[in-house]
Amino acid sequence: MTLIKLDDVGLKFQVRRAGRISFKDYLLHGLFRRSKKTSFEVQALENINLTVEESDRLGIIGPNGAGKSTLLKLLAGIYPPTSGRRKVVGRISSLFDIALGFETDANGWENIMYRGYLQGETPRSIREKIQPIAEFSELGDFLNMPVRYYSSGMKVRLAFSIATAIAPEILIVDEVLSAGDMAFQTKARERMKSLMSSARAVIVVSHDMKSLELMCDRVLWLDHGKMQSIGPAKEVIKAYTQQINQEEKRQAA
Amino acid sequence: MTGYLSSIWRLRHFWMALVRIDLRKRYRGTVIGIGWSLLQPIAMTAVLCLVFSQIFGQSIREFAPYLLTGLTFWGFITAVVMQGCQSFFQGESYIRQHPAPLAIYPLRATLGAGFHFLLGFAIALVFVWWVNGFGNLPALVSLVPTFVLLFVIGWSLAVCLGVANVLFQDSQHLIGIIMQMLFYLTPILYKPEMMLDKSPHFALIFNYNPFAMLLELIRKPLLDGELPSLWAIGASSLFALLVVCAAMLALRCFEKRMIFYL
Repeated sequence: MTLIKLDDVGLKFQVRRAGRISFKDYLLHGLFRRSKKTSFEVQALENINLTVEESDRLGIIGPNGAGKSTLLKLLAGIYPPTSGRRKVVGRISSLFDIALGFETDANGWENIMYRGYLQGETPRSIREKIQPIAEFSELGDFLNMPVRYYSSGMKVRLAFSIATAIAPEILIVDEVLSAGDMAFQTKARERMKSLMSSARAVIVVSHDMKSLELMCDRVLWLDHGKMQSIGPAKEVIKAYTQQINQEEKRQAA
Repeated sequence: MTGYLSSIWRLRHFWMALVRIDLRKRYRGTVIGIGWSLLQPIAMTAVLCLVFSQIFGQSIREFAPYLLTGLTFWGFITAVVMQGCQSFFQGESYIRQHPAPLAIYPLRATLGAGFHFLLGFAIALVFVWWVNGFGNLPALVSLVPTFVLLFVIGWSLAVCLGVANVLFQDSQHLIGIIMQMLFYLTPILYKPEMMLDKSPHFALIFNYNPFAMLLELIRKPLLDGELPSLWAIGASSLFALLVVCAAMLALRCFEKRMIFYL
């Protein structure tokens, strides 16, 4: 069964220029749209055709700025495609920017509740999960403290524990495996493994070619917002590493 | 529309939790806590009574609840408008993480403001009962639909201005000035009669100012024990309909694309 289908999808950002827009520029250009002076356009994704089937494990690779995270956000429904069509069947759980979106004045327990509610939990259903989440985060008494005083590592721990407490249908992950200290990373990796095996489909962005090769059966290689190639994990990863090695050699020479 | 509203309802635990945080955050580390919300309109009313009862020769008995309702009402409108402007920026980290109906963020601002409005109104109600005795019940019951109307208007205004401010960030400053002007063009501190005696032309402003109409819906039943005029009911409902349509239009055109402007 097809869970996700992207049909010739493109995404064009309108980026606002930094700083104040002068009134002259606004009147001259802003009002008549498509102005070069008040904002500029970035073609983040172009001609993306992608289908994700039941039990697919898809990896996405590419250099920084290739559009990997943008593609994940588009899949998750946060960005709408500016051209083409996106079709999704099933509930998507996403793990990206997870350290954002805390209410810093509230304590850890309360933030577990808010996040849970945003993910569709009810007070009753979260009550069963709150204890396992707290235990997994290993934050102990820190949970009684406002999140404002947490270190970034602690925030990631908490966020990861909450986000992975719900069994996902379609799981979308953006390199969260680098979460927390060594001990927590091992734990997080275990949890990710079990989530990935239970999810109906997984899409993951990573720079760790070794683990990608183990986790995924298909890999998509993005470059400058375009699909460079898509196919069996081994082949695509090999082609990608070869190209990077060549570039390195060329630069060294 | 019903689909949209039901998806908002499904997330009710989330936005209600946000409203609770906002209320708690406001009084974090204070001793009196929520008492400040009660004290602020009372103090304003007291000092204005002191001044205006001299200038206009009004009796305090009558003028105090008049001022209190006016100030509480205006507090609600400005809170909705100004916090509505910021609502999407405030919710940005959630918007970037989770696709949810965007109207919940202005709703958060509206419910917070609504809570303070009800507090202020309760004080006015207690004061009126204490001075004049229990009022006319059917007139008081008419306040229930009025509050619903006020909530709908507040939410819609917050949505419209939130969208406007994200697209065009000068909006909040412009709105701030407009609100200040409207404060004096709405009979909040003075009675319409006082102004009309001096300059009858102001009838035009009072009759077509939706906020003046809404104020009548609140004051007439509470202070005079009478039902509000049909004109006020009709004009307020029409105004509500207009802002609801504007809010729906704004969401329809810009909800999806909003993330690009944040």
